[in-house]
Amino acid sequence: MATVAERSRTGRLRPGLALFALPSVVLVLVFFLVPFLANAVFAFVRWTGYSDTLSWTGLTNFELLNQLGILGHAIRITVIYAVITMAVQNGVGLALATALEKTNRVNTIFRSIFFIPVLMSPLAAGYIWSAVLSPDGPANDFLSAVLPGSIHYAYLGHGVSALVTVACIDAWKWSGLATLVYIAGLNRIPAQLTEAARIDGAGPWRRFWSVKFPLLAPAVTFNVVITLVGAFSALDAVFATTGGGPGDATTLLNVALYLQYGQSYFGQASALGLVVTLLVVVTAVPLITWLRRREVPM
Amino acid sequence: MAAARRYVLLSLFAIPWIVLPLWLLVVNSVKTESDASLLSIGLPSHFNGGANYSTVLHQGRYLVGLGNSLLMAVPSILVVLLLGSMAAWAYARSPRRSLRVTYYVSVLSVVLPPAIIPTVYTLTQLGLNGSRLGYLLTIVGTRLGMVIFLCTGFVRSLPTDWEEAAQLDGAGRWQVYRRIVLPLLSPALFTGAVLLVINVWNDFFFALFLLQGPGRVTLPLTLYQFASSSTYGLRWNLVFAHVILTSLPLLAAYIIMQRRVLAGLTEGGTTG
Repeated sequence: MATVAERSRTGRLRPGLALFALPSVVLVLVFFLVPFLANAVFAFVRWTGYSDTLSWTGLTNFELLNQLGILGHAIRITVIYAVITMAVQNGVGLALATALEKTNRVNTIFRSIFFIPVLMSPLAAGYIWSAVLSPDGPANDFLSAVLPGSIHYAYLGHGVSALVTVACIDAWKWSGLATLVYIAGLNRIPAQLTEAARIDGAGPWRRFWSVKFPLLAPAVTFNVVITLVGAFSALDAVFATTGGGPGDATTLLNVALYLQYGQSYFGQASALGLVVTLLVVVTAVPLITWLRRREVPM
Repeated sequence: MAAARRYVLLSLFAIPWIVLPLWLLVVNSVKTESDASLLSIGLPSHFNGGANYSTVLHQGRYLVGLGNSLLMAVPSILVVLLLGSMAAWAYARSPRRSLRVTYYVSVLSVVLPPAIIPTVYTLTQLGLNGSRLGYLLTIVGTRLGMVIFLCTGFVRSLPTDWEEAAQLDGAGRWQVYRRIVLPLLSPALFTGAVLLVINVWNDFFFALFLLQGPGRVTLPLTLYQFASSSTYGLRWNLVFAHVILTSLPLLAAYIIMQRRVLAGLTEGGTTG
């Protein structure tokens, strides 16, 4: 059998099979790989809209961004933002997935309700939550009703709370998807394993952390990496809520990139783009390696 | 009993998380401007929905945005699914080293962030900067990796028997792909299509940098421009009406197909 399969595969299909990949190879190279590699060059090039010449400047773009107080600040708040988004999204996703693990009629209804934000644009999410959390909005109305005094806190109006709030809005938009990934992961766990733990006297809490959670590792890997990577290049949620403010409290790397681009400082914008890439690489590679090692073969 | 308590907890969580924000959105989209500025969850004292929605349709340039969004999303998604599944077949079945390299580059494009400034530069060199075609090609080039990743794993898990049988019967490569591989791939392609629709329809980042001129705006751009156009802060009734109209096409599609969408995402997708 193997020889027949080998022969027929090498015989007629193989020579032209590469042609099937050709169109996508060309498109991925031209519109992903070439810009990606070019970014590593442009970051070190003096390139503005005010001059036609591009020239090598070494680290000048980074030094300029640093002198303006943009670089370190943007890196710091982007990392904080990404960690909050990741934690909230995965916490909510995992909790909902555990509650909605079994497929039945009521759970299906809950699943479809919690999935709605995934379909909305991050801009829409930003506008909705700016309203809910505005000083006179329903969130403060509720707090005023249950707590003493009248509360009119501007969640998006103060530095740290604005950063945390926008990160949570971003997490809100995507946690329905994380939920489904975790449900898929939970459904792949053989029922005998949790059943055996139950017979051995493990309670639901123990069964979750000692049996299910370790076996959920592939879904955790996927969700954690995807949420972190996505949040490193966040922009939409900020545009719809704070626009980068107050001050520069929510000027994430990509927001700073857009501002530099808007002022025609293309070299500096590329430098910020390269920082986003480096952030993704230095986070994703060790994280994938470490999380993969935790995965238990089933 | 445990189930009943779980449903109560889930409902208590769903109220502030989903129901209240969406209710605030819907109810304020039909209020007058001064009424909506209070951002209350009460019913409107005066129904102003007709005026709000027609303002969005006209001043908000909703129809221009809708047309452009359809014009960008439909072809780019179809092309990504077609070219991605073709490539996935080649990657799954061919042992050539050159193909293995391009496969890894494609998969990396899923994780690595797009380099937007050099993309603008590349499109300028190609004479496509600001154009619909440039945007479309960029979307295709940066989204192919996801479909390639989903489909290559899927094809690898399939036995080669059917493809071989078809060849022995004299089918050419295109016929084998068209009649055997593509139908077998449909679960993975459906999952890919759902993720692509969500991702491409709501794309703001690429559109912001790559589409220029008022005639080329997609829905997220019209929403942003409309919301930012007022100098006196947001006119919530109109912004909300625009948010609803912008979200409506996907929500409508979701309501019709939600069972398949949820099943596709929980079963088809992420085997990592």
